Amino acid sequence: MRTLFRIAQEELRLLLRRRVAMLGLLLLTVLSLSAALVSWQQRQTVAADRARYQAQVNEEFDAQPDRHPHRMVHYGTFVFRPLNALAAFDAGIDAYTGHTLFLEGHRQNSANFGDVRQSSLLLRFGQLTPALVLQLLAPLLLVFIGHGVVAGERESGTLRLLLTQGVGPRQILLGKLLALSAVAGLLLLPAALALLGLSLSAGALPLAAAALLAAYAAWLLLWAMAVVGVSAMLRRRRGALLGLLALWTVLLVLLPRLAADAASTARALPTRFETDIAVAGDLAAMGDSHNPDDPYFAGFRRQVLAQYGVSTVEDLPVNYKGLLGIEGERMTSELFDRYADASFDRQQDQSRWMDAFGLLSPVLALRRLSMTAAGTDLDAYRRFLAQGERYRYTLIQSLNRLQAEQIGYAEDRNPTQQARIDRSHWHEQPDFVFEARTPGQTLRSAAPAAAMLTGWVLAVAALLWAAGRRLGRVA
Amino acid sequence: MSWLVHELRLIAHSRLCVAALLILCLLASIALVSGAREVARQRDTLVRLAPLHASDVAAVAQARAKDGDAGYAAYYTFYDTIDPPSAAAFVALGLRDVAPLALRVRALGLQAQLYEGESFNPELALTGRFDFAFVLIYLAPLFIMALLHDLVSGERQSGRLSMLMAMPGAATRLWVRRAGLRLGLALVGLGLPLSVAMAVMGSGGLALAGAMSVVLAYVAFWGGLCLLVASRHWSSTTQATTLMAGWVLLTLVLPSLANLAITQRIPVSQGVELMLKQRQNVHGAWDEPREATMQRFFRSHPEWQDTAPLPLKFHWKWYYAFQQLGDESVAAEVAAYRSGLLARQQWTERLGWLLPGVAAQALLHRLADTDLPAQLAYQRRIEAFHVEIRAFYYPYVFNERPFGAEDFARRPKYLAPERPPQLAWPLLLPLAGWALGVLGLGAWALRRSRED
Repeated sequence: MRTLFRIAQEELRLLLRRRVAMLGLLLLTVLSLSAALVSWQQRQTVAADRARYQAQVNEEFDAQPDRHPHRMVHYGTFVFRPLNALAAFDAGIDAYTGHTLFLEGHRQNSANFGDVRQSSLLLRFGQLTPALVLQLLAPLLLVFIGHGVVAGERESGTLRLLLTQGVGPRQILLGKLLALSAVAGLLLLPAALALLGLSLSAGALPLAAAALLAAYAAWLLLWAMAVVGVSAMLRRRRGALLGLLALWTVLLVLLPRLAADAASTARALPTRFETDIAVAGDLAAMGDSHNPDDPYFAGFRRQVLAQYGVSTVEDLPVNYKGLLGIEGERMTSELFDRYADASFDRQQDQSRWMDAFGLLSPVLALRRLSMTAAGTDLDAYRRFLAQGERYRYTLIQSLNRLQAEQIGYAEDRNPTQQARIDRSHWHEQPDFVFEARTPGQTLRSAAPAAAMLTGWVLAVAALLWAAGRRLGRVA
Repeated sequence: MSWLVHELRLIAHSRLCVAALLILCLLASIALVSGAREVARQRDTLVRLAPLHASDVAAVAQARAKDGDAGYAAYYTFYDTIDPPSAAAFVALGLRDVAPLALRVRALGLQAQLYEGESFNPELALTGRFDFAFVLIYLAPLFIMALLHDLVSGERQSGRLSMLMAMPGAATRLWVRRAGLRLGLALVGLGLPLSVAMAVMGSGGLALAGAMSVVLAYVAFWGGLCLLVASRHWSSTTQATTLMAGWVLLTLVLPSLANLAITQRIPVSQGVELMLKQRQNVHGAWDEPREATMQRFFRSHPEWQDTAPLPLKFHWKWYYAFQQLGDESVAAEVAAYRSGLLARQQWTERLGWLLPGVAAQALLHRLADTDLPAQLAYQRRIEAFHVEIRAFYYPYVFNERPFGAEDFARRPKYLAPERPPQLAWPLLLPLAGWALGVLGLGAWALRRSRED
């Protein structure tokens, strides 16, 4: 054990004397800290903007004058996707998804004004967040700093010296790993501070923040082990460096894109254009509420009349037009839900496809884990849209009910004057509140990715173990 | 020419060189095929949509032609607009993975319809597509580094350097030739698949020339940078480290920092605001005296002033008048929104003067017509078409002319215009400047390093 610490200590002492390495370390720490600060500030601005718009829209809804409820069905409302506090750490798909959802009767709109369609292609170079720094840049720095930890000793002949002095090969590797892990810990420090700050000040879930920290610690440990292992297995420093750089490029730059391409070809999505037409077609096939002879709506009328025990719609104690509105909305919403679910199922299929590539490239597992914990993944977005739709349905049906109960049938059919109800009814409609995943749900959905990442750590640890045996034989 | 044979033999003997060149060529080819497949998929989708839309409109026509009310016909009839990919789109897919390929609009307020999005998987969009632009901008520099980083230090480490130095001028000549040859081969590895693919896809000579100049300049820039680093008396690991750090800075860190700055400095919240305001104005019309709305409409559209006065009951002309007034009331916000988006694009292009990767990206996507300006141009075409739609219905609605089946057949059709490829010449200038400058600097530094 003492030897192990001595080796680590010696390695770190050498590192302190390497100016370029220290400069790199310093730069990355500064970059990480500034990424944390800037993306926190950005997140605050965005969240404040969305909260302000939401408040404005809620106020405007309540301030509408006395009106016919059906006018309010068309007036509708907006909901704005709130931004999770941890989005400051990993923005995930936030920029790639719309945040403004218009809710109205008879239609299901898309969430619009996502950054991706409002930015130049510069956005595609990536967003500077602590997550990006740790996912891509920190491993690269570990490669630069650590590629020579063993290969360098071998080149200078000191490795053989150490081994002949009776230092075990695995002790050497573990000592080197300890030194690199210390560097990794230093790289993780700004992120840990950012996560702590987000939990304390911005209300991020401590459990999710802890999961993020653990995931990135595992990620950096994975790279530290890979760097020591490759450095031990290749004869020359240069070979180790080039090999590790190639590994970094293939695993972190190349494979994720290939995975995304494969996933999108494997499962193509229908366009909104088609979905809209399909919904309209299905709806027309069900029946036309404006046609007095339509079989479906004739049946509906009979059923309503029987329910109230009257013989004509004029005799109903409620406004038949309102009931028709309720029935029509129920029918369209069912279709919307069915098509939206099908589209999202397909998208999640694509994402699962991509996740499977995590077996080839661990960064995909890390990314999944990170976005899930940060609440910036596809599933969180789907939750928002589903809750928005549920809110839309409840609101529209409550307005339709107002039409059925507060406005008389005859009054509603008078073409020269529009019936209105009191504006106080608008206040009665509850505001939209987004319910994020509970910590338990978050951890459950992150579990498969966490298992995959753990698998990678174990696999690379086994490789390192094997490298130790080999080191003892060939050095 | 014996040096050429000798150098080629050297390359053939270096496993790293051969592998790097072959893999580069392979990746470029895969990217081009993958891009072409994506473009074919987009075209297929458009082909699939056309009959769907036609039958949808036919159903509306059948249901509405009987009563002959143009107001209903205009309300229920959707119009399809399409944005087919250009012949060079497969080179750089750009924003086409997140923007609608086709958008349906109707005669109602356009501003409530124009920003409708497409359903796409944001997790895939976040990762990005594997297209030629990606191979060129991100991967090609890494391969050039692999080919060139130890130009000098490799000779030094193998002990041949002092011998080379003893011959006046020999070393410089050797390195310039060697570097030139390797860069040339990298250029072939990228350019050959590109020219074949662009010829097959019928992108046209101008697009090919433009794309090839971008490839040439970008490869030359990275080659120059490698020469510059190779000329330093550093170990090959230090050189590799420096180059990789440069790559990270130029293609990851600086662009994302710049994006952050641009997003913060040029907010485009006008998009959301115009949508909120347009909705307020459109729906507010239901609570205003209808005559006042009509008078406001007549002020900007006097041609309908002398039509019959509004009846007591609902009339479509009032409806379409307030829909249009709603659009017009946010004209200033729309203009501000667009100019904000264009300003973001302009600053990105200005950034191209400092960052060759950004310039190459902007140039390729302009050529492919898949960038933000392309999206805005599509929106403007939809806007112009929407003017036609309104102009088509208004005579029926305002003059209360019956609208029958033959009138349905006369409705305007959206025609996607031919768009010739555009080369952003002003951006090629800094890219070429960087390439020549750094290449020259690299050659000069190599010569000097011999004299030291």
